[in-house]
Amino acid sequence: MPELPEPPGDAPRVIDQGSIWILVASPSIWAAHFLISYWVAAVYCAKAPNAAPLMEPRWIAIGLGVFCCALIAWLAWIAVKRYGGVFLIFEEITESSERGRDKFVGHVSLLLCVLSAVAIVFNIIPGLVLGQC
Amino acid sequence: MTDEIDLSQLPPAEPYDKARDEAQRARLLDVWKKPTGWRGVSAVNNSHVGKWYLLTSFAFFVFAGILALLIRVQLAVPDNPLFSQSLYNQLFTLHGTAMMFLFAVPIFEAVAIIILPEILGARDLPFPRLSAFGFWCFVIGGVFVCGSIFFGVAPDGGWFMYTPLSSDPAYSGLGTDIWLLGLSFIEVSSIAAAVELIVGVLKSRPPGMRLNLIPLYCWYVLVVAGMILFAFPPLIAGDLLLEMERAFGWAFFDPDRGGDPLLWQHLFWIFGHPEVYIIFLPSIALIATMLPTFAGRPMVGHSWIVLSAVSVAFLSFGLWVHHMFTTGLPEISLAFFSAASEAVAVPTGIQIFCFIATMLVAKVRPSVPMLFAGGALAIFVFGGLTGVMVALVPFDWQAHDSYFVVAHLHYTLIGGMLFPLFAGIHYWYPFVTKRKMNDRAGKWSFWLMFGGFNVAFLPMHWTGIMGMPRRVWTYQLSDGWGLLNMVSTIGSFVFAFGFLVLAINVLWPRGKHAAAPRNIWNAGTMEWSEEQEGTPWGVRSIPYVHTRYPLWEQPELVGEMDRGEWFLPDAEEGERELIVTDILDARPLFVQRVGGPSFLTLGAAFCLGAVFILATFHLWTWTMFFGAGFVAFVLRWLWTGTARIPEKTTKYVGRGITLPTYAQGNKSVGWWAVFITMTGDMTAFTGLVFSYFFFWTALPDFLPSLADVPAFGPMMGGLALMLIGWGMTIASREALRKDNGTISMILLGGSVVIKTAGIAAWCYAAWAVGLDPTVHSFDAMVWMLILWTGLHLILDAVMHGYVIARIWKHCCTPIFRADVINLTLYGHFVAITVIVTFALLALFPLMMGVL
Repeated sequence: MPELPEPPGDAPRVIDQGSIWILVASPSIWAAHFLISYWVAAVYCAKAPNAAPLMEPRWIAIGLGVFCCALIAWLAWIAVKRYGGVFLIFEEITESSERGRDKFVGHVSLLLCVLSAVAIVFNIIPGLVLGQC
Repeated sequence: MTDEIDLSQLPPAEPYDKARDEAQRARLLDVWKKPTGWRGVSAVNNSHVGKWYLLTSFAFFVFAGILALLIRVQLAVPDNPLFSQSLYNQLFTLHGTAMMFLFAVPIFEAVAIIILPEILGARDLPFPRLSAFGFWCFVIGGVFVCGSIFFGVAPDGGWFMYTPLSSDPAYSGLGTDIWLLGLSFIEVSSIAAAVELIVGVLKSRPPGMRLNLIPLYCWYVLVVAGMILFAFPPLIAGDLLLEMERAFGWAFFDPDRGGDPLLWQHLFWIFGHPEVYIIFLPSIALIATMLPTFAGRPMVGHSWIVLSAVSVAFLSFGLWVHHMFTTGLPEISLAFFSAASEAVAVPTGIQIFCFIATMLVAKVRPSVPMLFAGGALAIFVFGGLTGVMVALVPFDWQAHDSYFVVAHLHYTLIGGMLFPLFAGIHYWYPFVTKRKMNDRAGKWSFWLMFGGFNVAFLPMHWTGIMGMPRRVWTYQLSDGWGLLNMVSTIGSFVFAFGFLVLAINVLWPRGKHAAAPRNIWNAGTMEWSEEQEGTPWGVRSIPYVHTRYPLWEQPELVGEMDRGEWFLPDAEEGERELIVTDILDARPLFVQRVGGPSFLTLGAAFCLGAVFILATFHLWTWTMFFGAGFVAFVLRWLWTGTARIPEKTTKYVGRGITLPTYAQGNKSVGWWAVFITMTGDMTAFTGLVFSYFFFWTALPDFLPSLADVPAFGPMMGGLALMLIGWGMTIASREALRKDNGTISMILLGGSVVIKTAGIAAWCYAAWAVGLDPTVHSFDAMVWMLILWTGLHLILDAVMHGYVIARIWKHCCTPIFRADVINLTLYGHFVAITVIVTFALLALFPLMMGVL
């Protein structure tokens, strides 16, 4: 069967190189941690007896938070190692090359990793402070 | 590394030939010209549709602004008998509704439709007819909702339409139905625009514009369009539940029948909070685009701003409960949302600091746009500070539902959205009209609005702290709020006068004025490369861009584009053409042909509008009739405008590059449109799944005994049948690929029959145990999930029929099979819906019953 002509160069590489996905990976981890913490607390507070000590949900939120931060640290390591991400303010990654594009993605991913980790720590704090529903 | 085309090593352009240039220009003009006379309404070109969109949004803004002035007149003095309480409720509901749904969101789409293609150096967006369709939906829906106040039936339940007041017809009349159906309809246009803009930014960039070179405006558009896909659908799900309760008595929000009014608040605010950022980000994007122009240097921290936009998009979804701090949720839950609300200040602040840093390291040229931008930052920062206050639970418990919140939200929205937009109007006016606005009038309008705004809204912080609740119709002299309210009212009129000056400045006829210089502000972004007059095609030729500010850093570019030295300088085949590029590096992939002027989109929008409007009045027969009309228009639109088999498989686009003229699968823009639309659809479905679990956590007896849940056997059988049908759709795609059209058509037809049997089995499973949606929330939830699946299967059947017809007529062939590939993609999403619904209706009760 004849096939359609292929465009010059390779097909678009979205998934195999992962460039787009690494950008949203760390905020997605934040989102997952946030939602699971909220769901655990909501289900626990609704289904457990009133005013029960909130040991389980708070420890789930904290434990999950530590795990998520570790996962984000691993992503940050990829951003630095594979994509050449740097932590600079006056960056001008305007080089028109695949390497330049990769460095830009790595840079933004690294920044997103830091911010997502901070946001997760924000969410762990209530677990440390509040002891009940 | 891949063997990409090295765009910087392209062969030189052919020598300039005046006769050739003129012939090419004539052909381009012929293809891209706007229809004349009354046929002008069939135009789909982004420059026309964008302008209509912009003016219509502003018309609704003026309407909503007049309502605001009426509100202020009523509150100017204590015990004011001017309006009845009922009319006052309609005034503030319609003010909020129109400002949010008919101005703030559509204006983002309007601005993006006008400037995005130009900033990308593209001819148009990939689905111009979809933009036009979205625009007409917006006009029809907006007029319907706003017009209701002239008949005394405007919605009066607040722009948030809280249940149970809004779900009980005894308390709320037709206005609520108008709100629900009218706005659901308008959301169609928002989602249509989101699909258009996402594909536009990802796939319509000029060759060479890699991810690291995309202008900040485009990043913001991408992020906001993505947010629309995740924010709007839960509200559509909520609207569906509420309308089913109102129209057919299904039990979702009525506590006496196992419902819970709080569910509405969750679904509404999952939409409503991100909505604030959906409004804010595109406007701040305008500042991010203008600021480098006036600073005369690139933005400081370009990638920090990208990071901020992306992270604000995520974090803003974790804030919805901060609108519900006083509803009695567990404190630990409130704390999570308070923490997320504070966290979002970090990326928001990063953006503001990048702007300030850019201004500090450069000498900023003073101008009217910069005046508005500076005012915007001042007001927004103030509003942001009170935002930090109300995000703290103890403070919110004090200030909740007081005028303090009214002051806060207007500071953030007017500072974060309206003033940047006005800055943008002054900045891009010469781009749209080729004339310049009057600077003196611009300064007058700014100072009147800036002063008037602060006089109007600053005192509200005090009226709120002094205890004045929101939404009160009137108050007494002894309350002590009279003076502050009078000051606010005076300020609001000064503000309105400032806007009047701006409106006159915009609408002032300037036909005889001299044309403004081409790049009047000396900007670096591509939209200023557009030729001055009579060139509806966007760019003369699509350039190779390898810098962030091409007009600054590629000095020869504009001349080369004008001489037609870059890609697609001609329209030999009489087709409107764009170049589609890949996501990461913007390498040219193929030539996309887009539809020209058409009445089909107008007809489709009219019929769909009629469906929503007639359903409001429960005229079901007519609703069905226009529904059929809508389907007919859309099918005709798809048949004649999409996945057309080209007359030749490749086309020379200039500079030594030949590209395919047809694409399918994930290379084609159509595939991306289906994928993105279905992502939004999945979000709405997630809203329903959330509702199911919400009821389960909120109500101790939500799950009935195992004897009263849908029968497991028929549920299992139905699941098996629907999954087999899904497999048959996939098999049909493979059969067509192997040149077996007949088998493919048989499989497609069989798939519809088998899936229909499957959903029938589910209906039987619910019916056999006597589930009645008007009796209890569990029954209603089960039927709603089955109904949702069923509606998708009806659409699935229509699409199967369409593809069978396409194969039959040889419009979908073994080589050109985009239709069947897109159908299969839709099928994958329906399969996920089916599997999750089965898990909820059959497995979850079983699991809980065993426990």
